[in-house]
Amino acid sequence: MKVGILDYKACNLGSVFNSLYKLGINPIIINNPKEISEMDRLIIPGVGAAKNCMDYLKYNGFIEPIKKFLAFKPILGICLGMQIFAKKLYENGLSEGIGHIDGEVKILDAKIKFNIGWKEVEFIKKIHKKFDTEDLSSFYYCHSYYISLKKNNYCIGISYMGSNKIPAIVCKGNFIGTQFHPEKSQTNGNKFLEFFLNWKKN
Amino acid sequence: MNFIRIIPSLLLSNKKLVKGKKFNNHINAGYPSSTCLALEGQKCDEIFLIDLDSYKYQIDPDFDTLNEISKNISTPITFGGGFKNIEQVKTAFKLGADKIYLSQILFKNKEIINEIKNIYGSQSIVAGINIMSDNQEYYLLEDKEKNIDILDHIKSLIKWGVGEIKITFVNDEGSENGINLDLSKKIIANTNLPIIFEGGLGNIEQIIDMIKIGANSFAIGSMITFKDYNIFKIKQHLFNKGYKVRF
Repeated sequence: MKVGILDYKACNLGSVFNSLYKLGINPIIINNPKEISEMDRLIIPGVGAAKNCMDYLKYNGFIEPIKKFLAFKPILGICLGMQIFAKKLYENGLSEGIGHIDGEVKILDAKIKFNIGWKEVEFIKKIHKKFDTEDLSSFYYCHSYYISLKKNNYCIGISYMGSNKIPAIVCKGNFIGTQFHPEKSQTNGNKFLEFFLNWKKN
Repeated sequence: MNFIRIIPSLLLSNKKLVKGKKFNNHINAGYPSSTCLALEGQKCDEIFLIDLDSYKYQIDPDFDTLNEISKNISTPITFGGGFKNIEQVKTAFKLGADKIYLSQILFKNKEIINEIKNIYGSQSIVAGINIMSDNQEYYLLEDKEKNIDILDHIKSLIKWGVGEIKITFVNDEGSENGINLDLSKKIIANTNLPIIFEGGLGNIEQIIDMIKIGANSFAIGSMITFKDYNIFKIKQHLFNKGYKVRF
């Protein structure tokens, strides 16, 4: 299986690459939009600032190939890699997202504006009949912006920031996005990545 | 509520781990990759990896060892030590860092915070605050004239846009005497960012004292390197006392 990791020149590329490598995958780092269509799975990492990332994807012609890929094959977006699929993002000024998910990316409205550390995910829907969520409880988060969804029907899991709920897993069509970092979530994260690699739509 | 974070604080020199007291007298503390693998097995919540040589000898940080560790574990790695420019930061992220630790450079070139923030986001920057004490007087390690107010320094870094603060009590580093509770309380009250405390933690009671005043993240060196504690044991103790930890 050909798994591509999109390198938008501002992400924890090494971590994502190494995590997949440990699972027996030899990932391909995508620097050229033309390479996307040759992949079976596409992963868009996190750790980046929204405006910088969207500008890079736009100026280098990545948006259309990503949309085309999404129509046929699975994409995993991690953290910012998920947030860019929303309609609007507000980090470092307004930028327009890919628009696959009806929502906006806003700053966390909490006493502490950063959610850094491990949190439990409450699964509110099943992603897949075969996906066992029982022992998948805690994952690693590191973010100050979150995706605020217009409708909740694409939200699979949530986590709590104080009394506020934030989407932890969002799934629509061939797209699955996580606010947490599966590549950094030890055993639970590995299970999640394995699930994605074998994921076929219901 | 978030889980309490127990973070091994590892120092790197000449491709090996070392551990010292009060930032000095470093002795060998094992191989980086195998140690990190063991720490992950004990469910550490993150790993701090600080390269001592890059600052001391003004050379590039040890990216090879960072990458080697990253290949072995799936635990968040904060990498630091003597970053001089954005290019080094980019290389670190490419080779396995998840967050970047800055301390000394914050006194010479705060602009680097802006550069990193605009590319990688504020959440990727951990600012290191090194606190010295002298007869109950507290000052910053890098501030020889003792002019800078510690809380003002932290507030200024928050304004510049760092995402997390690590407080190290340098005099207490390796001492196992516990952390100054009064000053820690003041720092917590004046900081709206996640804070990691380090320096001088020697037993579970001292960690619990800190949790009681509102701390929830701890970087630990001596306690796990040279004593009969490990991450799992520490977490088990905290769990038994009713605190939220992750296994």
